[in-house]
Amino acid sequence: MIINHPLLGPRDAAEFYYLGDASLLDRPDWQAPDAADKFYEYQYLRDNAAGEHRELWYHEQGDRSWLIVTRDTLTHDITKVELAHDVALAKQADPANTGREG
Amino acid sequence: MPDMTLKPKTPLNGYSETFGATVLEEIAGMGLVSIATPRGGVDALQGAVQSAYGCALPPTGSSTIGNDGAIRLMGLQPGQVFALFAYDGDTAVTEIEKALGDNGYYTDQSDSWAMLHLSGSAAIDALARICPLDLDASVFPDGTVARTVMEHMGVIVLREGTDGFLLMAARSSAANFLHAVEQSVRNVT
Amino acid sequence: MSQRMRINGGIVDRSKPLSFEFDGKQLQGFAGDTLASALLANDIRFVGRSFKYHRPRGIFTAGPEEPNALVQLRRGPYQEPNTRATVAELYDGLHAASQNYRGSLNFDLMAVNDLFAPFLSAGFYYKTFMWPQAFWEKVYEPAIRASAGLGRLSGKDDPDIYDKGFLHCDILVIGAGPAGLMAALTAGRSGARVILADEDFAPGGRLNAETHEINGGDAQGWTASVLSELKSLPNVRLMKRTTVYGAYDHGVYGALEKSTDHLPMSGGKPRQILWRIYSKRAVLCAGATERSIAFGNNDRPGVMLAGAVRAYANRWGVAPGRNVAIFTNNDDGWRTATDLAAKGVSIAAVIDTRSGAAPADVAGATIAMGASIVDTKGRKGISAVTLSNGTTVPVDCLAVSGGWSPNVHLTCHQRGRPDWADEIAAFVPGKDLPVGMSVAGAAKGALTLAACLQEGAKAGAQAAQDLGLTASMAEIPEASDEASAITPFWHVTESKGRAWIDLQNDVTAKDVQLAKREGYRSVELLKRYTTLGMATDQGKTANVLGLAVLAEASGKSIPETGTTIFRPPYTPVPIAAFAGRSRGKDFRPTRLTPGHEWAAEQGAVFVEAGMWLRGQWFPKPGETHWRESVDREVLATRKSVGICDVTTLGKIDVQGRDAAEFLNKVYANGFAKLPVGKVRYGLMLREDGMVMDDGTTARLSENHFVMTTTTANAVGVFRHMEFCRQCLWPDLDVHLISATEQFAQYAVAGPNARKLLQKIVDPEFDISNDAFPFMGCGEITVCGGTPARLFRISFSGELAYEIAVPSRYGDGLIRALMAAGEEFDAVPYGTEALSVMRIEKGHPAGNELNGQTTARDMGMGRMVSKKKDSIGSILSERPELNREDGLALVGFRPVDRARQLKSGAHFIPKGKTPSLENDEGWMTSVAYSPTLGHSIGLGFIKRGSDRLGETIVAADPIRGESIEVEIVSPHFFDPEGERVRA
Repeated sequence: MIINHPLLGPRDAAEFYYLGDASLLDRPDWQAPDAADKFYEYQYLRDNAAGEHRELWYHEQGDRSWLIVTRDTLTHDITKVELAHDVALAKQADPANTGREG
Repeated sequence: MPDMTLKPKTPLNGYSETFGATVLEEIAGMGLVSIATPRGGVDALQGAVQSAYGCALPPTGSSTIGNDGAIRLMGLQPGQVFALFAYDGDTAVTEIEKALGDNGYYTDQSDSWAMLHLSGSAAIDALARICPLDLDASVFPDGTVARTVMEHMGVIVLREGTDGFLLMAARSSAANFLHAVEQSVRNVT
Repeated sequence: MSQRMRINGGIVDRSKPLSFEFDGKQLQGFAGDTLASALLANDIRFVGRSFKYHRPRGIFTAGPEEPNALVQLRRGPYQEPNTRATVAELYDGLHAASQNYRGSLNFDLMAVNDLFAPFLSAGFYYKTFMWPQAFWEKVYEPAIRASAGLGRLSGKDDPDIYDKGFLHCDILVIGAGPAGLMAALTAGRSGARVILADEDFAPGGRLNAETHEINGGDAQGWTASVLSELKSLPNVRLMKRTTVYGAYDHGVYGALEKSTDHLPMSGGKPRQILWRIYSKRAVLCAGATERSIAFGNNDRPGVMLAGAVRAYANRWGVAPGRNVAIFTNNDDGWRTATDLAAKGVSIAAVIDTRSGAAPADVAGATIAMGASIVDTKGRKGISAVTLSNGTTVPVDCLAVSGGWSPNVHLTCHQRGRPDWADEIAAFVPGKDLPVGMSVAGAAKGALTLAACLQEGAKAGAQAAQDLGLTASMAEIPEASDEASAITPFWHVTESKGRAWIDLQNDVTAKDVQLAKREGYRSVELLKRYTTLGMATDQGKTANVLGLAVLAEASGKSIPETGTTIFRPPYTPVPIAAFAGRSRGKDFRPTRLTPGHEWAAEQGAVFVEAGMWLRGQWFPKPGETHWRESVDREVLATRKSVGICDVTTLGKIDVQGRDAAEFLNKVYANGFAKLPVGKVRYGLMLREDGMVMDDGTTARLSENHFVMTTTTANAVGVFRHMEFCRQCLWPDLDVHLISATEQFAQYAVAGPNARKLLQKIVDPEFDISNDAFPFMGCGEITVCGGTPARLFRISFSGELAYEIAVPSRYGDGLIRALMAAGEEFDAVPYGTEALSVMRIEKGHPAGNELNGQTTARDMGMGRMVSKKKDSIGSILSERPELNREDGLALVGFRPVDRARQLKSGAHFIPKGKTPSLENDEGWMTSVAYSPTLGHSIGLGFIKRGSDRLGETIVAADPIRGESIEVEIVSPHFFDPEGERVRA
């Protein structure tokens, strides 16, 4: 696979480390009254989409950026690649913005 | 009291070899310092770099050269550049600190990398055996820098001129890296 | 006389005769021959035995689709089984042998299988070898393995080398036939970076095998001029002998270049190169493959595909027979008759399954329209054919054409399914092509020359235009569309003899019909049940025919019956090529510390720790057992001073205004208030509450920390911290960079550690106990000005320091330390002694931090601060991880002190049977403690900390040793920790 890095252009997936669902950016508030449940859901309950999937890739053998890659799990078609840092900052500025469209 | 002065060693003991028109040699005597940009401090760092070296802070993937040609800044990752300059001492960070003050966070990398310079007609063909990157001058021109993986080893590649490449790999696996590059050159020459 | 079947013409170089050996016979051929063409030139066509029935088989094709002519090439360790003679380029001194027989090729003892054919029908493995079950391993499998299979490996290491590589292009053109040449030319002229890859050593594809005219001249001349223009374009790379074998995601293609296979010896250069080609667009011009017709005994040597027969005549100047018959269902087959007749080869008959007028005149030949061949005669070669009208015609070669199937293989590698095209009675590429791929020429079903040239040019231009380049299609060379009409005909049903479909796997029309009767109606099941289309040729000449016979038996059409699809590789790729250079020690890098050379000089025994080599112990003369060395190292360290290379620990430089806050979040225990000049033990959890790693972190200045990780987890911890920094807390001002490689680091441990260090630390630095207490750190200089970092930390439980210098001085420092330590009898110690000492101290390490244990299990539950947000803090509170009867790390010692503990033993209450229900925990680490004089262990056991003093059984049923052990504190040695503060 080729990941089109937003800063560096196309790079072979072999340079990357795959982590999984990009919902890992949505780490719950540790002080929330239901923090235990929220962290449980955060840690264990993931969608296993057959189709479009936002997921985390780390450019370990590259610029060390964490990326959010939108990939179709059926076709490997990659439609969007974002710097996770940018997405996380935007989310922090506007907690309602999870980066997901629609 | 006997003289206990410690003797430095380079990662590849000064390796140098010629393969026809292709030359592979260890580069030593360089200072290498990572400069990280403090959050919110990119303009200050940019200004300090400009006034100290007369060049810009390069974006990730490219490099700039100071106006006296003595230092090269390489954009390695967002918020991090490596400064490469001729230097034989033990405190490379001090040199950068003197120039840039407290506008960046500095980490000495001079001893972290084995540096090889590969140049000549077979350089690109040799690298094609181990380097996944497209090194064609149309996409990887002079001054381009990238970190990638070759033979399971992390490598920083810098293009210098039409057929010269500076290759930096972890010091601990320097011997393996040299072997990989040397084998590649042998396989194509 | 040699080469008695050689005729005029062809593109072999008759000025370069080559000698070769086949089955012990010395023969001659010419440069430009394949092994197959050279064998045919020498009138040798019986070249192998079939897989199952050991039937005599001959050369069937002239290309990569060959099912029969598989040979052992080369000798000794260079031996390569299952090489297709039809693509093996002849070289001087080539040595080949036929395969798959016992005895000799002519008198194969296994040919008896042919007589048992009625018992070896479809699915015979499943039916015959079902019971008794015990027979499978002992009788059936060894017997099958001995009789099946094709060639043999040498069993020796391959002395040749193999390589890999990466290529990048705008447009990859696969195949250099007429369509591919036009595609590459058009794309090349547009300025695109083009790779043109072809499996043959002579580009041109079918142009080399036909008598076509282009632009009024012969096709070979045109090919040469196109190749010469392509070679002159710096943006075009022409790769001969290169098979593109797989289409992968996002325009990545796998290709195998046979770079020195055509030479007697590889001369130290890689024999084959496995390329990964990155393309923006690909044009597949893979051509088409001819298929056979099923009729009785259609497998005898001398029965060949019609296109192959004329390829041997036209390209190689070889007549595959003296008296040739043609059996066809299409116009193309007739060209074999006319081409051969024009070269003076006698044509005995042309049998066409279609009725009507003959499409051509063939002088002297019997023409039978609307007829078929029902049987053939001859044992080790065809001698006659029997026609449906009852006549028998003597022949020594039969050219069969059942039509041409486009080579759609690569279009299917991303799950694309081909479509059926009635007009050519074949599958053509479907709509779902791999991203960026287009198809042109015969591969797309355009089976005539003018169409191939036109389509190739168009596809090349389109690919260039897609990439924003200007491409013109100005000059399409002139050529005619030759006759190619076909009326599908698959199977001569009135044949009584076995009608072969898959020659490589010995699958007959009857096998397909039987499978269908037994319920294998799905084509995917049919394939697996009958083995149709398996093995080295993957049914290139057989699949469509098999499908047609299945369709016929089911009363369905071919498109209704469906098709199996193709996976990589297109043709076989040697494992050696996939391995490339990754052999032996080159399998992965080895990491060496700056002190390695010194350690090797001391005779250190090294152990692999991840990719690192670490000194395990340092044997002294006279020591015969590793324990002697390790015990000595431990005792000497505890008595005076020992030195250990700890360079391999991960080191991460952490800087920024928020560095302290960041560490406070990634570590479970507090770091915000760590004073400058101090080190603290840090416990890192995963978000699920399990322990991830541990280490120490030093604060060098307000905004500057240096963290250490375990050797094994260095990379993972760095990745995790980058995740935290970029994804979880993006607003913090913190920066990470690995410093593992920057420093050589040594632990100096033992009561005399300070005295030793005082000899090398420059005098302006006070490292007395008051000035530099336990858990202190600082930047100093040593040996007259070399910068260093000193940390007063201890893993051994002794007064200890870790001292780090820039890696260039690592070799110098270990020598200086040992020289300075001479007066204290300083010893180097390895990882074994390190481990003994940490077990004596009860420090957890890798065996305890196995990803399934919590801080509480480790007895460090209270370290997990509840006053702050840190990774893993919330989920570490889950009830199941905090059970009253949860595991706890404690120490163990044998009740009989003379006995040895074993790690991996499970704890069972005394008097109970060792079973899962009675299992209370397990031993994680054991060592012989020379300090205490007996074996000690660490382990996890339920409610461990409440059970000190209890005796329990450490059961080890697998190794047959169960011993009674006493539960004790894990701190075997200096439990108050007085020594580290001395």
